[in-house]
Amino acid sequence: MSDLKLRVKHMIIERLKLEGMTPDQIDDAAPLFGDGLGLDSIDALELVLGIEQVFGVKIEDEAAGLQAFKSVQALTDFIAEHAKA
Amino acid sequence: MAEIPAHLPHRYPFLLVDRILEREPGQRVVAEKLVTAGEPYLQGHFPDRPLVPGALLVEMLAQAGGFLEAESLHGAGIFLAGIQDARFRTPAFPGDRLRLEVRLAGAFGGLMKLAGTITCEGQEVCTASLLVKRL
Repeated sequence: MSDLKLRVKHMIIERLKLEGMTPDQIDDAAPLFGDGLGLDSIDALELVLGIEQVFGVKIEDEAAGLQAFKSVQALTDFIAEHAKA
Repeated sequence: MAEIPAHLPHRYPFLLVDRILEREPGQRVVAEKLVTAGEPYLQGHFPDRPLVPGALLVEMLAQAGGFLEAESLHGAGIFLAGIQDARFRTPAFPGDRLRLEVRLAGAFGGLMKLAGTITCEGQEVCTASLLVKRL
């Protein structure tokens, strides 16, 4: 698992208080919302704030969120891409 | 003072903001609530020792947070969606002048997170994060 992906998973677990969950229990490809981790809109706001605080990357609007929150892999890619800029 | 009923739909006995001291819509609001011995809830909370219920301190922050909105809340679909990390550090009593400070901590997908602090004479009374949903 890439360093960044692991950090993303740790951030998700910490920020959303998914107590007892470990990074390897989060499927890289599973959707974060709905069927995957089953997150809701309040969790989405928490993640947006966490991503900004931890990685310095802003998710400006819902369109960007739709792309970034497809999966942990998509979120990791999104952060990697925008952190450089 | 006249602007408060025009902005908030809340009314006696549930209007819990007396004055707006500072206001930058979308960013930050500082409001004031003067606690008096005549508050209806203090008659029962508690008969021998009146103190403001913690839940109402949070409500004061929510009402102050309403002034982050530029437009009046009359008829607006805005609701409290969550309360996080509420802490009550010291009680609020009749005679207290409470300073309610609320700032926008973040927003996404129709949800806003507000960081609220109540102080009295510089001493922290309550801190809480509020999640507000706009329909």
